[in-house]
Amino acid sequence: MILIVVVTGTALGAVAVTSLGLLPLVGQPRLSVAGFTSLSSDLRAATKESLLTAACATLLAAAIGLAVATLALHAGRSGRVLIGASVVVVTVPHLVGATAAGLLLSDVGLAQRWLGIPAAAWPELVGGSWPWATVFELAWKESVFVALVVIASVGRRYADLREVAAVLGAAPRAQWRRVLLPQAAPALASSSLIVFVYSLGTYEVARLLGRADPEPLPVMAYRLFTDIDVTARPQAAATAVVATGLALVVSTITLALLRRLGADR
Amino acid sequence: MSRQRSGRWGTAHQPRRMVVPALLAFWLVIPLTPLLLWAGASRWSGPARLPQDFGFHGWQEAQDAGVIAASIRSALLGAAVALIATPLGVLAGRALGWRLLRRPALPSIVLLGPLVLAPFAVAMGFDVVVLRLGIPGEVAVVLVLSVFALPYTTVTMRAAYLGLDPALEEQARVLGASSRQARRRVTLPAATTGLVTATGLAFLVGWSDYAVTLLIGGGQIVTAPMLIGSSAAGSGNDALTSTLAISASLPPLVALAVFTYAASRRRTAAHS
Repeated sequence: MILIVVVTGTALGAVAVTSLGLLPLVGQPRLSVAGFTSLSSDLRAATKESLLTAACATLLAAAIGLAVATLALHAGRSGRVLIGASVVVVTVPHLVGATAAGLLLSDVGLAQRWLGIPAAAWPELVGGSWPWATVFELAWKESVFVALVVIASVGRRYADLREVAAVLGAAPRAQWRRVLLPQAAPALASSSLIVFVYSLGTYEVARLLGRADPEPLPVMAYRLFTDIDVTARPQAAATAVVATGLALVVSTITLALLRRLGADR
Repeated sequence: MSRQRSGRWGTAHQPRRMVVPALLAFWLVIPLTPLLLWAGASRWSGPARLPQDFGFHGWQEAQDAGVIAASIRSALLGAAVALIATPLGVLAGRALGWRLLRRPALPSIVLLGPLVLAPFAVAMGFDVVVLRLGIPGEVAVVLVLSVFALPYTTVTMRAAYLGLDPALEEQARVLGASSRQARRRVTLPAATTGLVTATGLAFLVGWSDYAVTLLIGGGQIVTAPMLIGSSAAGSGNDALTSTLAISASLPPLVALAVFTYAASRRRTAAHS
Protein backbone atom coordinates (compact mmCIF):
# COMPACT_ATOMS: atom_id res chain seq x y z
CA MET A 1 0.00 0.00 0.00
CA ILE A 2 2.79 2.38 0.92
CA LEU A 3 4.48 1.59 -2.40
CA ILE A 4 1.33 2.47 -4.31
CA VAL A 5 0.65 5.62 -2.35
CA VAL A 6 4.23 6.89 -2.69
CA VAL A 7 4.65 6.14 -6.38
CA THR A 8 1.22 7.15 -7.65
CA GLY A 9 0.90 9.98 -5.17
CA THR A 10 4.12 11.68 -6.18
CA ALA A 11 3.54 10.91 -9.86
CA LEU A 12 0.02 12.25 -10.00
CA GLY A 13 0.95 15.18 -7.81
CA ALA A 14 3.73 16.02 -10.23
CA VAL A 15 1.40 15.67 -13.19
CA ALA A 16 -1.19 17.95 -11.60
CA VAL A 17 1.41 20.54 -10.61
CA THR A 18 2.98 20.43 -14.09
CA SER A 19 -0.40 20.81 -15.77
CA LEU A 20 -0.93 24.01 -13.80
CA GLY A 21 2.39 25.41 -14.96
CA LEU A 22 4.04 25.16 -11.53
CA LEU A 23 6.79 22.74 -12.57
CA PRO A 24 8.17 23.96 -15.89
CA LEU A 25 11.26 22.36 -17.39
CA VAL A 26 12.71 25.84 -17.89
CA GLY A 27 11.66 29.27 -16.69
CA GLN A 28 9.71 30.55 -13.74
CA PRO A 29 6.83 28.55 -12.27
CA ARG A 30 3.56 30.40 -12.75
CA LEU A 31 0.06 29.23 -11.87
CA SER A 32 -2.01 28.98 -15.04
CA VAL A 33 -4.65 26.82 -16.64
CA ALA A 34 -3.19 27.43 -20.10
CA GLY A 35 -2.21 23.75 -20.28
CA PHE A 36 -5.90 22.90 -20.34
CA THR A 37 -7.37 25.83 -22.24
CA SER A 38 -4.82 26.26 -25.05
CA LEU A 39 -5.71 22.86 -26.52
CA SER A 40 -9.29 22.53 -25.36
CA SER A 41 -10.75 21.49 -28.71
CA ASP A 42 -8.00 18.89 -29.23
CA LEU A 43 -8.55 17.66 -25.70
CA ARG A 44 -12.27 17.30 -26.32
CA ALA A 45 -11.71 15.39 -29.56
CA ALA A 46 -9.13 13.12 -27.91
CA THR A 47 -11.47 12.45 -24.99
CA LYS A 48 -14.26 11.50 -27.38
CA GLU A 49 -11.97 9.22 -29.36
CA SER A 50 -10.68 7.54 -26.19
CA LEU A 51 -14.18 7.00 -24.76
CA LEU A 52 -15.49 5.60 -28.04
CA THR A 53 -12.61 3.16 -28.40
CA ALA A 54 -12.75 2.04 -24.79
CA ALA A 55 -16.55 1.59 -24.75
CA CYS A 56 -16.65 -0.48 -27.94
CA ALA A 57 -13.65 -2.59 -26.92
CA THR A 58 -15.16 -3.25 -23.48
CA LEU A 59 -18.58 -4.30 -24.79
CA LEU A 60 -17.01 -6.69 -27.29
CA ALA A 61 -14.49 -8.05 -24.79
CA ALA A 62 -17.18 -8.66 -22.15
CA ALA A 63 -19.57 -10.40 -24.55
CA ILE A 64 -16.94 -12.56 -26.20
CA GLY A 65 -15.17 -13.21 -22.90
CA LEU A 66 -18.39 -14.46 -21.34
CA ALA A 67 -19.01 -16.68 -24.37
CA VAL A 68 -15.50 -18.14 -24.10
CA ALA A 69 -15.92 -18.71 -20.36
CA THR A 70 -19.33 -20.34 -20.81
CA LEU A 71 -18.03 -22.67 -23.45
CA ALA A 72 -14.89 -23.47 -21.52
CA LEU A 73 -16.90 -24.31 -18.41
CA HIS A 74 -19.43 -26.47 -20.27
CA ALA A 75 -17.47 -28.33 -22.88
CA GLY A 76 -15.12 -30.95 -21.53
CA ARG A 77 -11.97 -31.38 -23.56
CA SER A 78 -12.63 -28.66 -26.11
CA GLY A 79 -13.23 -26.39 -23.11
CA ARG A 80 -9.73 -27.08 -21.89
CA VAL A 81 -8.37 -26.37 -25.36
CA LEU A 82 -10.23 -23.05 -25.31
CA ILE A 83 -8.77 -22.19 -21.90
CA GLY A 84 -5.32 -23.09 -23.22
CA ALA A 85 -5.79 -20.84 -26.24
CA SER A 86 -7.03 -18.05 -23.97
CA VAL A 87 -3.97 -18.35 -21.77
CA VAL A 88 -1.78 -18.12 -24.87
CA VAL A 89 -3.55 -14.95 -25.98
CA VAL A 90 -3.44 -13.37 -22.52
CA THR A 91 0.34 -13.81 -22.36
CA VAL A 92 0.83 -12.09 -25.71
CA PRO A 93 1.88 -8.48 -25.08
CA HIS A 94 -0.53 -5.82 -26.33
CA LEU A 95 2.24 -4.44 -28.50
CA VAL A 96 2.52 -7.81 -30.23
CA GLY A 97 -1.25 -7.91 -30.56
CA ALA A 98 -1.18 -4.47 -32.14
CA THR A 99 1.57 -5.53 -34.53
CA ALA A 100 -0.42 -8.63 -35.47
CA ALA A 101 -3.66 -6.69 -35.88
CA GLY A 102 -1.83 -4.29 -38.19
CA LEU A 103 -0.48 -7.13 -40.30
CA LEU A 104 -3.95 -8.69 -40.39
CA LEU A 105 -6.14 -5.69 -41.12
CA SER A 106 -4.04 -3.17 -43.05
CA ASP A 107 -4.67 -2.55 -46.75
CA VAL A 108 -1.83 -4.94 -47.62
CA GLY A 109 -2.56 -7.23 -44.67
CA LEU A 110 -3.37 -10.90 -44.46
CA ALA A 111 -7.15 -10.43 -44.52
CA GLN A 112 -6.93 -8.36 -47.68
CA ARG A 113 -4.67 -10.93 -49.34
CA TRP A 114 -6.73 -13.93 -48.33
CA LEU A 115 -10.07 -12.37 -49.23
CA GLY A 116 -8.69 -11.27 -52.59
CA ILE A 117 -10.03 -7.74 -52.29
CA PRO A 118 -7.90 -5.15 -54.13
CA ALA A 119 -5.92 -2.92 -51.78
CA ALA A 120 -7.66 0.16 -53.18
CA ALA A 121 -11.09 -1.23 -52.27
CA TRP A 122 -10.02 -2.38 -48.80
CA PRO A 123 -11.67 -0.39 -45.98
CA GLU A 124 -9.35 1.75 -43.91
CA LEU A 125 -9.34 -0.41 -40.81
CA VAL A 126 -5.89 0.70 -39.66
CA GLY A 127 -5.46 4.43 -39.18
CA GLY A 128 -8.83 5.13 -40.81
CA SER A 129 -11.69 7.35 -39.80
CA TRP A 130 -12.99 4.87 -37.21
CA PRO A 131 -10.65 3.03 -34.80
CA TRP A 132 -11.55 -0.47 -36.10
CA ALA A 133 -8.15 -2.03 -35.63
CA THR A 134 -7.62 -0.52 -32.17
CA VAL A 135 -11.00 -1.78 -30.99
CA PHE A 136 -10.36 -5.17 -32.58
CA GLU A 137 -6.99 -5.59 -30.86
CA LEU A 138 -8.24 -4.48 -27.46
CA ALA A 139 -11.34 -6.66 -27.71
CA TRP A 140 -9.25 -9.65 -28.81
CA LYS A 141 -6.73 -9.42 -25.99
CA GLU A 142 -9.15 -8.35 -23.30
CA SER A 143 -11.87 -10.90 -24.13
CA VAL A 144 -9.57 -13.66 -22.93
CA PHE A 145 -8.74 -11.64 -19.82
CA VAL A 146 -12.46 -11.41 -19.04
CA ALA A 147 -12.91 -15.12 -19.80
CA LEU A 148 -10.05 -16.20 -17.55
CA VAL A 149 -11.15 -13.97 -14.67
CA VAL A 150 -14.70 -15.36 -14.93
CA ILE A 151 -13.46 -18.96 -15.14
CA ALA A 152 -11.11 -18.46 -12.20
CA SER A 153 -13.82 -16.94 -10.04
CA VAL A 154 -16.64 -19.42 -10.72
CA GLY A 155 -14.75 -22.53 -11.84
CA ARG A 156 -15.06 -25.27 -9.29
CA ARG A 157 -18.05 -23.88 -7.45
CA TYR A 158 -20.00 -23.66 -10.68
CA ALA A 159 -19.43 -27.33 -11.53
CA ASP A 160 -20.99 -28.33 -8.19
CA LEU A 161 -23.87 -25.85 -8.40
CA ARG A 162 -24.59 -26.86 -11.97
CA GLU A 163 -24.82 -30.47 -10.94
CA VAL A 164 -27.29 -29.55 -8.22
CA ALA A 165 -29.28 -27.46 -10.71
CA ALA A 166 -29.30 -30.32 -13.21
CA VAL A 167 -30.48 -32.78 -10.56
CA LEU A 168 -33.24 -30.35 -9.67
CA GLY A 169 -34.31 -30.38 -13.30
CA ALA A 170 -32.89 -27.10 -14.63
CA ALA A 171 -32.44 -27.07 -18.40
CA PRO A 172 -28.98 -26.10 -19.67
CA ARG A 173 -30.22 -22.68 -20.67
CA ALA A 174 -31.68 -22.13 -17.20
CA GLN A 175 -28.42 -23.35 -15.68
CA TRP A 176 -26.61 -20.69 -17.66
CA ARG A 177 -29.01 -17.89 -16.80
CA ARG A 178 -29.80 -18.78 -13.21
CA VAL A 179 -26.52 -20.28 -12.06
CA LEU A 180 -23.60 -19.21 -14.21
CA LEU A 181 -24.64 -15.63 -14.89
CA PRO A 182 -25.24 -14.62 -11.25
CA GLN A 183 -22.06 -16.42 -10.22
CA ALA A 184 -20.06 -14.76 -12.97
CA ALA A 185 -21.62 -11.31 -12.67
CA PRO A 186 -19.20 -9.79 -10.13
CA ALA A 187 -16.13 -11.07 -11.98
CA LEU A 188 -17.60 -10.04 -15.32
CA ALA A 189 -18.40 -6.55 -14.10
CA SER A 190 -15.07 -5.93 -12.39
CA SER A 191 -13.04 -7.32 -15.29
CA SER A 192 -15.07 -5.21 -17.74
CA LEU A 193 -14.30 -2.11 -15.71
CA ILE A 194 -10.62 -3.04 -15.78
CA VAL A 195 -10.81 -3.47 -19.56
CA PHE A 196 -12.50 -0.11 -19.96
CA VAL A 197 -9.97 1.88 -17.96
CA TYR A 198 -7.10 -0.07 -19.51
CA SER A 199 -8.41 0.79 -22.97
CA LEU A 200 -8.67 4.43 -21.94
CA GLY A 201 -5.06 4.54 -20.82
CA THR A 202 -3.29 2.35 -23.34
CA TYR A 203 -0.72 4.01 -25.52
CA GLU A 204 0.91 1.51 -27.83
CA VAL A 205 -2.19 0.01 -29.44
CA ALA A 206 -3.67 3.33 -30.47
CA ARG A 207 -0.22 4.60 -31.45
CA LEU A 208 0.31 1.75 -33.93
CA LEU A 209 -3.24 1.23 -35.16
CA GLY A 210 -5.05 4.52 -34.69
CA ARG A 211 -5.23 7.60 -36.84
CA ALA A 212 -3.27 10.75 -36.18
CA ASP A 213 -6.28 13.05 -35.96
CA PRO A 214 -8.09 12.92 -33.66
CA GLU A 215 -5.68 10.94 -31.55
CA PRO A 216 -6.73 9.35 -28.25
CA LEU A 217 -5.58 10.92 -24.96
CA PRO A 218 -2.48 8.76 -24.28
CA VAL A 219 -1.09 9.29 -27.79
CA MET A 220 -1.72 13.02 -27.55
CA ALA A 221 -0.08 13.18 -24.11
CA TYR A 222 3.02 11.33 -25.25
CA ARG A 223 3.37 13.45 -28.37
CA LEU A 224 3.18 16.64 -26.31
CA PHE A 225 5.44 15.24 -23.59
CA THR A 226 8.22 14.49 -26.06
CA ASP A 227 7.71 17.69 -28.04
CA ILE A 228 10.87 19.68 -28.68
CA ASP A 229 8.95 22.71 -27.48
CA VAL A 230 9.26 22.28 -23.70
CA THR A 231 6.35 24.63 -23.13
CA ALA A 232 4.14 21.76 -24.35
CA ARG A 233 4.85 19.98 -21.05
CA PRO A 234 1.92 21.57 -19.17
CA GLN A 235 -0.34 20.59 -22.08
CA ALA A 236 0.93 17.00 -21.92
CA ALA A 237 0.33 16.93 -18.19
CA ALA A 238 -3.13 18.44 -18.67
CA THR A 239 -3.96 15.61 -21.09
CA ALA A 240 -2.79 13.10 -18.47
CA VAL A 241 -4.94 14.83 -15.84
CA VAL A 242 -8.00 14.61 -18.12
CA ALA A 243 -7.35 10.91 -18.81
CA THR A 244 -6.88 10.17 -15.12
CA GLY A 245 -9.95 12.19 -14.13
CA LEU A 246 -12.06 10.43 -16.75
CA ALA A 247 -11.00 6.99 -15.54
CA LEU A 248 -11.63 7.96 -11.93
CA VAL A 249 -15.11 9.30 -12.67
CA VAL A 250 -16.12 6.25 -14.74
CA SER A 251 -14.79 3.87 -12.09
CA THR A 252 -16.49 5.67 -9.24
CA ILE A 253 -19.85 5.66 -11.03
CA THR A 254 -19.52 2.01 -12.08
CA LEU A 255 -18.48 0.86 -8.62
CA ALA A 256 -21.32 2.80 -7.00
CA LEU A 257 -23.79 1.23 -9.45
CA LEU A 258 -22.36 -2.21 -8.82
CA ARG A 259 -22.62 -1.74 -5.08
CA ARG A 260 -26.24 -0.67 -5.42
CA LEU A 261 -27.01 -3.65 -7.66
CA GLY A 262 -25.29 -5.93 -5.19
CA ALA A 263 -27.26 -4.42 -2.32
CA ASP A 264 -30.51 -4.87 -4.22
CA ARG A 265 -29.97 -8.53 -4.78
CA MET B 1 -37.85 -24.78 -29.93
CA SER B 2 -37.02 -25.39 -26.32
CA ARG B 3 -35.89 -28.92 -27.12
CA GLN B 4 -33.57 -27.61 -29.73
CA ARG B 5 -32.14 -25.11 -27.29
CA SER B 6 -31.78 -27.58 -24.49
CA GLY B 7 -29.71 -29.79 -26.76
CA ARG B 8 -27.15 -27.04 -27.11
CA TRP B 9 -24.86 -28.31 -24.43
CA GLY B 10 -26.16 -31.85 -24.55
CA THR B 11 -25.29 -34.73 -26.78
CA ALA B 12 -27.40 -33.78 -29.78
CA HIS B 13 -25.44 -33.81 -33.01
CA GLN B 14 -26.27 -30.37 -34.17
CA PRO B 15 -24.00 -28.48 -36.50
CA ARG B 16 -24.87 -25.39 -34.48
CA ARG B 17 -23.09 -26.88 -31.52
CA MET B 18 -19.86 -26.61 -33.40
CA VAL B 19 -20.39 -23.17 -34.89
CA VAL B 20 -19.88 -21.10 -31.75
CA PRO B 21 -16.78 -23.00 -30.56
CA ALA B 22 -15.33 -22.80 -34.07
CA LEU B 23 -16.00 -19.07 -34.26
CA LEU B 24 -14.44 -18.47 -30.85
CA ALA B 25 -11.41 -20.58 -31.73
CA PHE B 26 -11.10 -18.58 -34.97
CA TRP B 27 -11.35 -15.33 -32.99
CA LEU B 28 -8.55 -16.44 -30.68
CA VAL B 29 -6.20 -17.78 -33.35
CA ILE B 30 -6.61 -15.60 -36.42
CA PRO B 31 -4.79 -12.47 -35.19
CA LEU B 32 -1.65 -14.48 -34.56
CA THR B 33 -1.63 -16.06 -38.02
CA PRO B 34 -0.02 -13.17 -39.92
CA LEU B 35 2.86 -13.11 -37.44
CA LEU B 36 3.63 -16.78 -38.01
CA LEU B 37 3.42 -16.44 -41.79
CA TRP B 38 5.53 -13.30 -42.01
CA ALA B 39 8.15 -14.66 -39.63
CA GLY B 40 8.68 -17.57 -42.00
CA ALA B 41 8.64 -15.52 -45.19
CA SER B 42 11.70 -14.21 -46.92
CA ARG B 43 9.70 -12.72 -49.81
CA TRP B 44 6.00 -12.00 -49.82
CA SER B 45 4.71 -9.32 -52.09
CA GLY B 46 0.98 -8.77 -52.47
CA PRO B 47 -1.53 -9.78 -53.58
CA ALA B 48 -0.17 -13.34 -53.25
CA ARG B 49 -2.04 -15.28 -50.57
CA LEU B 50 1.09 -17.00 -49.31
CA PRO B 51 4.77 -16.00 -49.27
CA GLN B 52 6.66 -16.52 -52.53
CA ASP B 53 9.77 -17.65 -50.65
CA PHE B 54 9.98 -19.14 -47.21
CA GLY B 55 13.02 -18.58 -45.06
CA PHE B 56 14.30 -17.23 -41.81
CA HIS B 57 15.87 -13.92 -42.80
CA GLY B 58 13.78 -12.21 -40.15
CA TRP B 59 15.41 -14.23 -37.40
CA GLN B 60 18.91 -13.26 -38.50
CA GLU B 61 17.88 -9.62 -38.66
CA ALA B 62 16.28 -9.87 -35.23
CA GLN B 63 19.50 -11.23 -33.81
CA ASP B 64 21.43 -8.41 -35.41
CA ALA B 65 18.97 -5.97 -33.86
CA GLY B 66 19.92 -7.31 -30.42
CA VAL B 67 16.79 -9.30 -29.63
CA ILE B 68 18.57 -11.60 -27.17
CA ALA B 69 19.97 -8.86 -24.94
CA ALA B 70 16.65 -7.02 -25.11
CA SER B 71 14.74 -10.17 -24.14
CA ILE B 72 17.04 -10.74 -21.15
CA ARG B 73 16.39 -7.16 -20.05
CA SER B 74 12.64 -7.73 -20.41
CA ALA B 75 12.82 -10.99 -18.45
CA LEU B 76 14.72 -9.27 -15.63
CA LEU B 77 12.15 -6.51 -15.60
CA GLY B 78 9.30 -9.05 -15.49
CA ALA B 79 10.98 -11.05 -12.73
CA ALA B 80 11.65 -7.95 -10.63
CA VAL B 81 8.04 -6.85 -10.95
CA ALA B 82 6.74 -10.35 -10.10
CA LEU B 83 9.06 -10.57 -7.09
CA ILE B 84 7.65 -7.37 -5.66
CA ALA B 85 4.01 -7.62 -6.71
CA THR B 86 3.21 -11.30 -6.10
CA PRO B 87 3.95 -11.60 -2.35
CA LEU B 88 2.23 -8.29 -1.73
CA GLY B 89 -0.72 -9.46 -3.82
CA VAL B 90 -1.00 -12.67 -1.78
CA LEU B 91 -1.12 -10.73 1.48
CA ALA B 92 -3.61 -8.24 0.12
CA GLY B 93 -5.75 -10.87 -1.63
CA ARG B 94 -5.98 -12.97 1.52
CA ALA B 95 -6.96 -10.01 3.67
CA LEU B 96 -9.58 -8.84 1.17
CA GLY B 97 -10.87 -12.24 0.04
CA TRP B 98 -11.39 -13.47 3.58
CA ARG B 99 -12.58 -10.12 4.91
CA LEU B 100 -9.89 -9.99 7.55
CA LEU B 101 -9.91 -6.20 7.68
CA ARG B 102 -12.39 -4.33 9.77
CA ARG B 103 -12.49 -1.46 7.31
CA PRO B 104 -11.57 -2.89 3.91
CA ALA B 105 -12.85 0.04 1.86
CA LEU B 106 -9.76 2.23 1.91
CA PRO B 107 -7.18 -0.56 1.40
CA SER B 108 -9.31 -1.91 -1.47
CA ILE B 109 -9.44 1.46 -3.14
CA VAL B 110 -5.69 2.03 -2.76
CA LEU B 111 -4.74 -1.49 -3.87
CA LEU B 112 -7.02 -1.50 -6.87
CA GLY B 113 -6.50 2.17 -7.58
CA PRO B 114 -3.66 1.74 -10.09
CA LEU B 115 -6.06 -0.15 -12.37
CA VAL B 116 -7.92 3.06 -12.84
CA LEU B 117 -4.83 5.11 -13.53
CA ALA B 118 -3.31 5.35 -16.95
CA PRO B 119 0.28 4.03 -16.88
CA PHE B 120 1.42 6.81 -19.16
CA ALA B 121 0.05 9.44 -16.76
CA VAL B 122 1.82 7.96 -13.75
CA ALA B 123 5.01 7.38 -15.72
CA MET B 124 4.93 10.96 -16.96
CA GLY B 125 4.60 12.38 -13.47
CA PHE B 126 7.10 9.99 -11.95
CA ASP B 127 9.59 10.83 -14.67
CA VAL B 128 9.54 14.45 -13.59
CA VAL B 129 10.24 13.41 -9.98
CA VAL B 130 12.84 10.81 -10.95
CA LEU B 131 14.79 13.34 -12.96
CA ARG B 132 14.94 15.76 -10.03
CA LEU B 133 15.82 13.10 -7.45
CA GLY B 134 18.33 11.30 -9.64
CA ILE B 135 16.74 7.85 -9.22
CA PRO B 136 18.07 5.39 -11.84
CA GLY B 137 15.61 4.86 -14.68
CA GLU B 138 15.57 1.08 -14.22
CA VAL B 139 14.55 1.39 -10.56
CA ALA B 140 11.84 3.87 -11.45
CA VAL B 141 10.46 1.60 -14.19
CA VAL B 142 10.37 -1.41 -11.82
CA LEU B 143 8.62 0.65 -9.13
CA VAL B 144 5.98 2.04 -11.45
CA LEU B 145 5.32 -1.34 -13.08
CA SER B 146 5.10 -3.09 -9.68
CA VAL B 147 2.44 -0.61 -8.72
CA PHE B 148 0.54 -1.48 -11.88
CA ALA B 149 1.00 -5.22 -11.36
CA LEU B 150 -0.22 -5.12 -7.77
CA PRO B 151 -3.93 -4.78 -8.59
CA TYR B 152 -3.71 -7.79 -10.90
CA THR B 153 -2.03 -9.95 -8.27
CA THR B 154 -4.44 -8.67 -5.62
CA VAL B 155 -7.56 -9.29 -7.73
CA THR B 156 -6.38 -12.75 -8.71
CA MET B 157 -5.46 -13.76 -5.16
CA ARG B 158 -8.65 -12.22 -3.79
CA ALA B 159 -10.66 -14.37 -6.22
CA ALA B 160 -8.60 -17.41 -5.24
CA TYR B 161 -9.14 -16.82 -1.52
CA LEU B 162 -12.85 -16.12 -2.09
CA GLY B 163 -13.08 -19.63 -3.52
CA LEU B 164 -11.40 -21.10 -0.45
CA ASP B 165 -13.03 -21.67 2.90
CA PRO B 166 -11.17 -19.91 5.74
CA ALA B 167 -12.17 -22.92 7.85
CA LEU B 168 -9.49 -24.84 5.94
CA GLU B 169 -6.81 -22.85 7.73
CA GLU B 170 -8.60 -23.15 11.07
CA GLN B 171 -8.77 -26.91 10.67
CA ALA B 172 -5.05 -27.04 9.99
CA ARG B 173 -4.45 -25.01 13.13
CA VAL B 174 -6.73 -27.25 15.16
CA LEU B 175 -4.63 -30.14 13.89
CA GLY B 176 -1.54 -28.49 15.33
CA ALA B 177 -0.13 -26.34 12.53
CA SER B 178 1.12 -22.88 13.40
CA SER B 179 -0.69 -20.08 11.60
CA ARG B 180 2.34 -19.61 9.36
CA GLN B 181 2.42 -23.34 8.53
CA ALA B 182 -1.31 -23.36 7.91
CA ARG B 183 -0.96 -20.48 5.49
CA ARG B 184 2.06 -21.87 3.67
CA ARG B 185 1.23 -25.57 3.64
CA VAL B 186 -2.55 -25.58 3.43
CA THR B 187 -4.16 -22.50 1.96
CA LEU B 188 -1.40 -21.31 -0.37
CA PRO B 189 -1.09 -24.71 -2.11
CA ALA B 190 -4.88 -24.81 -2.37
CA ALA B 191 -4.68 -21.45 -4.11
CA THR B 192 -1.94 -22.59 -6.49
CA THR B 193 -3.86 -21.81 -9.64
CA GLY B 194 -4.44 -18.28 -8.42
CA LEU B 195 -0.82 -17.93 -7.34
CA VAL B 196 0.48 -19.08 -10.71
CA THR B 197 -1.89 -16.74 -12.49
CA ALA B 198 -0.87 -13.84 -10.24
CA THR B 199 2.86 -14.45 -10.75
CA GLY B 200 2.32 -14.82 -14.47
CA LEU B 201 0.32 -11.62 -14.72
CA ALA B 202 2.89 -9.66 -12.69
CA PHE B 203 5.70 -11.00 -14.85
CA LEU B 204 3.77 -10.07 -17.96
CA VAL B 205 3.25 -6.51 -16.76
CA GLY B 206 7.02 -6.09 -16.68
CA TRP B 207 7.80 -8.25 -19.69
CA SER B 208 5.34 -6.66 -22.06
CA ASP B 209 5.47 -3.06 -20.95
CA TYR B 210 6.10 -0.50 -23.61
CA ALA B 211 4.68 2.86 -22.54
CA VAL B 212 6.30 3.15 -19.07
CA THR B 213 9.72 1.95 -20.25
CA LEU B 214 9.54 4.33 -23.20
CA LEU B 215 8.49 7.33 -21.12
CA ILE B 216 10.80 6.90 -18.13
CA GLY B 217 13.63 5.14 -19.96
CA GLY B 218 13.52 7.71 -22.74
CA GLY B 219 14.62 5.03 -25.20
CA GLN B 220 17.72 4.17 -23.14
CA ILE B 221 16.32 0.95 -21.65
CA VAL B 222 16.03 -1.27 -24.70
CA THR B 223 13.64 -4.10 -23.88
CA ALA B 224 12.05 -6.50 -26.37
CA PRO B 225 8.90 -4.38 -26.77
CA MET B 226 11.10 -1.37 -27.59
CA LEU B 227 12.56 -3.24 -30.55
CA ILE B 228 9.10 -4.30 -31.72
CA GLY B 229 7.77 -0.78 -31.31
CA SER B 230 10.47 0.82 -33.38
CA SER B 231 10.32 -1.89 -36.02
CA ALA B 232 6.52 -1.84 -36.30
CA ALA B 233 6.28 1.93 -36.38
CA GLY B 234 8.92 2.72 -38.90
CA SER B 235 10.84 -0.09 -40.58
CA GLY B 236 8.23 -1.49 -42.97
CA ASN B 237 10.13 -4.76 -42.54
CA ASP B 238 7.23 -7.08 -41.74
CA ALA B 239 9.40 -10.19 -41.47
CA LEU B 240 11.61 -8.55 -38.83
CA THR B 241 8.63 -7.10 -36.96
CA SER B 242 6.87 -10.48 -36.91
CA THR B 243 9.99 -12.27 -35.78
CA LEU B 244 10.54 -9.80 -32.95
CA ALA B 245 6.88 -10.08 -31.98
CA ILE B 246 7.03 -13.87 -31.87
CA SER B 247 10.25 -13.91 -29.91
CA ALA B 248 8.64 -11.59 -27.36
CA SER B 249 5.60 -13.88 -27.09
CA LEU B 250 7.32 -17.24 -26.74
CA PRO B 251 9.28 -16.93 -23.46
CA PRO B 252 6.23 -16.07 -21.30
CA LEU B 253 4.40 -18.98 -22.88
CA VAL B 254 7.24 -21.33 -22.03
CA ALA B 255 7.39 -19.95 -18.49
CA LEU B 256 3.65 -20.39 -18.12
CA ALA B 257 3.78 -23.92 -19.48
CA VAL B 258 6.47 -24.77 -16.91
CA PHE B 259 4.43 -23.15 -14.11
CA THR B 260 1.26 -24.97 -15.14
CA TYR B 261 3.08 -28.28 -15.48
CA ALA B 262 4.69 -27.88 -12.05
CA ALA B 263 1.37 -26.90 -10.49
CA SER B 264 -0.49 -29.83 -12.03
CA ARG B 265 2.25 -32.22 -10.91
CA ARG B 266 2.06 -30.87 -7.41
CA ARG B 267 -1.70 -31.29 -7.48
CA THR B 268 -1.40 -34.87 -8.76
CA ALA B 269 1.15 -35.60 -6.04
CA ALA B 270 -1.18 -34.12 -3.42
CA HIS B 271 -4.06 -36.29 -4.61
CA SER B 272 -2.14 -39.57 -4.67
